[in-house]
Amino acid sequence: MRPFDTLTLMQFCWAFLAILGFSIRVNLKGIKIFYTALSGGLCWAFYLIVLYYSNSVLFSVFISIILVCIYAELVAPKLRTPVSVFVTCAIIPLVPGRGLFESMQYYIAGNNVQASKSILETLLIAGTISIAIAVVSSVTNIWLKMLNRF
Amino acid sequence: MNKLSVKQATELALEVGRIILQSGGTTNRVEKMMLKVCKGLGYPNTESFVTPTGIFISVNDAEGSISTSIKRIENRRIDLGKITRVSRLVSCLEEKQNCPEGKAVMDVNSFRKELNAIDREEAWPGWLRNLCGGATSGFFCLLFGGAWMEFAIAVLIGIIVSYGMKLLSRLAFNNFLLNAIAAALIVCIAKSMDYYIPYIRLDNIIIGGIMLLVPGLSITNAIRDTMSGDLVSGTARGVEALFITVGIVAGSGTMLKLFSLWGY
Repeated sequence: MRPFDTLTLMQFCWAFLAILGFSIRVNLKGIKIFYTALSGGLCWAFYLIVLYYSNSVLFSVFISIILVCIYAELVAPKLRTPVSVFVTCAIIPLVPGRGLFESMQYYIAGNNVQASKSILETLLIAGTISIAIAVVSSVTNIWLKMLNRF
Repeated sequence: MNKLSVKQATELALEVGRIILQSGGTTNRVEKMMLKVCKGLGYPNTESFVTPTGIFISVNDAEGSISTSIKRIENRRIDLGKITRVSRLVSCLEEKQNCPEGKAVMDVNSFRKELNAIDREEAWPGWLRNLCGGATSGFFCLLFGGAWMEFAIAVLIGIIVSYGMKLLSRLAFNNFLLNAIAAALIVCIAKSMDYYIPYIRLDNIIIGGIMLLVPGLSITNAIRDTMSGDLVSGTARGVEALFITVGIVAGSGTMLKLFSLWGY
């Protein structure tokens, strides 16, 4: 099975370590570092697995961000940490830095067709990330309100 | 516990808000925290309005006298650890219980002392944070398919850029210029490394460096602010994210073009 082989595990490890570094860089401390790093790694692993089955970048970004945001909403209250801390660290691997750089390269090379295609893709990924975060945070708000009501 | 006067309570709440907002908290959280502080100090009638660049708060007391205060927020920097610690401290104040981070049961004096300690404290020494910036950049380079030599160069670039951004932020540049210069620095170092070391792919190195600068926090905050109904700060942070992105593209693009004009 392709999505569960060592290559995916290695990618998970790289994402984990990258977010580990990032969370120390933004001054987090204690056991939280491990959990934020795990969220970053999981985000990338979910993305790769869904990408293998669906062959659609936007869909896999959407699903993986939703899963990771649910993870953040579940774990953050247990550690008495704001949810946004987790979400901020978790989405970093999927933020389209590569698309940004590629579109800029095409633009400088004068290849306008490729450049606009790449820019559109970057914008779509960024928009998808936003929508996924928005969905989870508003559903959680409604859920908490319902819990308080009943 | 002797009750604080309205003025002192306002100042304390403003201090809490300043720390959270300066380290990159969402607007909704800042408003909620200031409300909790005022409630914990015995002033439940509080209104606040927070934007990413300023805090407005007015506290009413039982006799009907109002204390209003405005704070302008400058030099914001990402510090998620401070947000976490201040949030914990405030929830301790609210529940009037033993604080896991502090020693005594919360009264006002120890609250103020803890707050000052959090504001001054550096969770990790500077060199470790710069090293971790390097590690982040390096592992992103590996994540996007880099080899070990490229990893080493990306780590070097990450460390240099982290130091550089620290120095530049001391000069109080705005966000756009800061990110543009940092991106230009990344491309400049990568290109000059390419001159000395054969067989490296620059794309992965530069993308690994750029991942240090991408505005993940601004995107998250913009969406969460908009979803919680703070349209002003949601829009403001969205524009901030856009400008940081444009800054990164402008800086790295200019440097790439300069190098290609020079003949590399």
